[in-house]
Amino acid sequence: MSARSIAGALVKIVGGDHVVDDPARLAGAAVDGVRPRWLIRVTATDQVSAVLALASEESLAVVPRGSGSALDLGHPPSRVDVVLDVRGMDRVVDYNPDDLTASVEAGLTAGAFAARLAPRRQWLPVDPPGGSSRTLGGLVATAAHGPLRARYGTLRDLLLGVRFVQADGVVTWGGARVVKSVTGYDVPKLMVGSLGTLGILCELTLRLHPMPEAEATRIVTFDSVNAAAAFVARLLDSSLEPNRVEFLNGGALGRLGLAGRIPAAIAVSVGSVEAAVRAESVEIEALAHTEGGQSEPRQADFWEAYAAMMVDDGARVLALHVSSLPSQLAATVRSVEQILADLAPGEAASITGCAALGTLDVVLGESALPIAARFVERVRGAVAGTGGHAMLRRAPLAVRRAVDPWGPVEPGPMALMKALRDEFDPGRVLNPGRFVGGL
Amino acid sequence: MSLTPALVSDLQNLLGPDGLVMSFEGRLVYECDMHTFYKGMPDAVALPTTAEQVQAIVLMCRREKVPIVPRGSGTGLIGGAMAPLGGVMVSMTRMTAILDVDLPNRCATVQPGLINLWLTNAVRERGWFFAPDPSSQMVSSIGGNVGTNAGGPHCLKHGITTNHVLGLEIVTGSGERMRVGGKAADRPGYDLTGAAVGAEGTFGLVTAITVRLLHAPEAVKTLLGSFATIEDASEVVSTIIAAGIIPAALEMLDDVIIEAINAGTGAGFPRGAGAVLLIELDGPRAEVEVQAERCAEMCRARRAIDVRVARDDAERELLWKGRKEAAGAVGRLSPNWLLQDAVVPRSKLPVIMRQMKEISARHRLVFANVFHAGDGNLHPLILYDEQKPGELERAVEANEELLAACIALGGSVTGEHGVGVDKAQKLMLQYAEADLNFMYRLRRVFDPDGIMNPGKLLPSHPACGEGFRPPRPALAAGAWI
Repeated sequence: MSARSIAGALVKIVGGDHVVDDPARLAGAAVDGVRPRWLIRVTATDQVSAVLALASEESLAVVPRGSGSALDLGHPPSRVDVVLDVRGMDRVVDYNPDDLTASVEAGLTAGAFAARLAPRRQWLPVDPPGGSSRTLGGLVATAAHGPLRARYGTLRDLLLGVRFVQADGVVTWGGARVVKSVTGYDVPKLMVGSLGTLGILCELTLRLHPMPEAEATRIVTFDSVNAAAAFVARLLDSSLEPNRVEFLNGGALGRLGLAGRIPAAIAVSVGSVEAAVRAESVEIEALAHTEGGQSEPRQADFWEAYAAMMVDDGARVLALHVSSLPSQLAATVRSVEQILADLAPGEAASITGCAALGTLDVVLGESALPIAARFVERVRGAVAGTGGHAMLRRAPLAVRRAVDPWGPVEPGPMALMKALRDEFDPGRVLNPGRFVGGL
Repeated sequence: MSLTPALVSDLQNLLGPDGLVMSFEGRLVYECDMHTFYKGMPDAVALPTTAEQVQAIVLMCRREKVPIVPRGSGTGLIGGAMAPLGGVMVSMTRMTAILDVDLPNRCATVQPGLINLWLTNAVRERGWFFAPDPSSQMVSSIGGNVGTNAGGPHCLKHGITTNHVLGLEIVTGSGERMRVGGKAADRPGYDLTGAAVGAEGTFGLVTAITVRLLHAPEAVKTLLGSFATIEDASEVVSTIIAAGIIPAALEMLDDVIIEAINAGTGAGFPRGAGAVLLIELDGPRAEVEVQAERCAEMCRARRAIDVRVARDDAERELLWKGRKEAAGAVGRLSPNWLLQDAVVPRSKLPVIMRQMKEISARHRLVFANVFHAGDGNLHPLILYDEQKPGELERAVEANEELLAACIALGGSVTGEHGVGVDKAQKLMLQYAEADLNFMYRLRRVFDPDGIMNPGKLLPSHPACGEGFRPPRPALAAGAWI
């Protein structure tokens, strides 16, 4: 089919207003500098289905996009013909407050969804930095997470059912609309973090949680990373049930305006009924003192400032997500700081992360870019011994060309992942090239 | 089918004289799980002790395209650990080691044959536990729990098996042995661990499992609310959830079960109660105290005829005693029963309870209910006597109607027991052809030759005419539900 007839077919599917082929606007929709031939705005699952059937027939590469905040995640795409904007699919299909479940279209933003849930004092406890303007489909596709994972887990634990469109246009449903189901394979798990490579997400059924009645946040500062890690170890070996347990290094504290040569801090929040929040706060304070920490209460807006710090502000251009183990928290932080000092003396990293799980987010400024690739490789080497990983969350194209943004996957699982991709998208219609191993 | 002499001799050489069961009497024990109606004897039962042996078994069977059926303790309720097409059963009962306990990282790695409760027993004194607690936990294996993605009374707050599995070592159907997932939280690529949990052995055999451990809660509080009608009790379930309280467990027993239990060991449920609700809260003491009081108020507001709060562990045990005896007590009521595991949205409990009454009346059968009310996971037992002509047929019909009613309310075919051969055909109620096709293809990626536990989990594929059609169902006395 000629380009003109493809364009005609696309217009038939979504209407002329929703097919963009104006070069200037297409340039704005480029993914890693690769300009699409069409930008398509869809508003319904059957449109996604028709577009993919056409793309599959015509061997077009389709890059799904939500808010566009993760378009630089992974390898640069090997081809881009169509950028499929799903933000027009933003309905709440079904909200059942008494069941603590909701089904939503994938283009709905987390912020709009939260506003819908708030009057019933319920929430989807997934709080990645900048998350409220991101689409829920994007959060699922990129397995995004934030501090609340310490208590509530991640979207892996919250996605109950999913409607997606396979590369050939077949609309498919997996999972259930109830909170408990083992009927057939757990297809939703496979979709979380799959970057749209097995299908384009159209509808999500999510498990919700009641918002805690009361919440309290404390920031506990320490004079060493070791002391902070020791505090975390005590916290984990207690019956406290904190919502968030975030580590912050000196660089991160400085960005929050809490400087003063403090090398490490743990920000911890608890959420429960008022009486329990008071009791748990007292206990946390006592644990902090045992490890020589200085504990100070913070207002709830601390977490907004914390998230804002993590969002790309133009100058902080590289974000590396490091997963290690809680027991290795101090060692990992020290390694990362040492590696950076070796490669770029004087360069400061902001390091934060879920201390309860031993995951860290390392953010570097523009001046560190020349050493970025070596830095990433050496951090990977440092955490490999404990089975850890380091994945680039954000980095300029040049860095992602110089170093694998995902990092190594062992040969056995890699072969299975490739087999999955070959089975469900042999023509590489969906997001070609971007996922692990260039799949 | 019968195995070739070459395969038998290879397996014998691999596993030694006592590692392969070939005799008829020996294999008889393995012909079914707790769903005793589905019988299928394997041609041989392998008892490996190492992951290397497991891998060798898969490679040998793959060479000859012989079916492989994994088995843990055989306590499943779905016709899972049985061999409808013969072949080699791989029993994990000799792989029961705890390989690693890593409390600073809140996890442990175990072999698949380890009994669920043994893991908690190993870490309890240090203040930790393994959360998934199927009622069979004193006998069921963690490998089996992983296979069926087992739930349990306390998964309402703490999640089902998949929420606690961090990583697996698996031997896929093509004989590759690999680690997927692991202790560290995030990793690149597809979530193969998440896909493999609940695959009922159709992707391969699990040889090691890394699970999350939880710290014991500061406080536990258990209440028992008794109600005149099951509708009242069902309303309370919705009220509790809607009030933002997620109890650790929220279990319901109906009048039929209450009577059966009272007639037996006498857990002492109030006479004449139409339903009792067992509510357990765990967490920080102050939270548990406040929420327990609120739950008690909600029970009273909904005309509870009695609300008891356990004052100590002994009283707590007593309140749970009845629940734990429920399945056994059913034996006193009826010689035979069908068991369901469907789920409805929890707010629909009052509706499904009314529909259930209509269905049981229409078919002149007694239903007994003991179930995980908090997450809407029903376990209706449909009582019948196979000696009475027509009763089984009516029970089967009532079962189908009830399942259809649950699906019509937006529910699921199975909440925690799994599919096996028992519910394989029922997947068509919940999934369209495209959805099932996705699953067939997913299975083929892990098991290209179709040797892993064939006939289970998915309806027999129209194209391959595998054609195992299960006969009528029956459950073993004393099955755990």
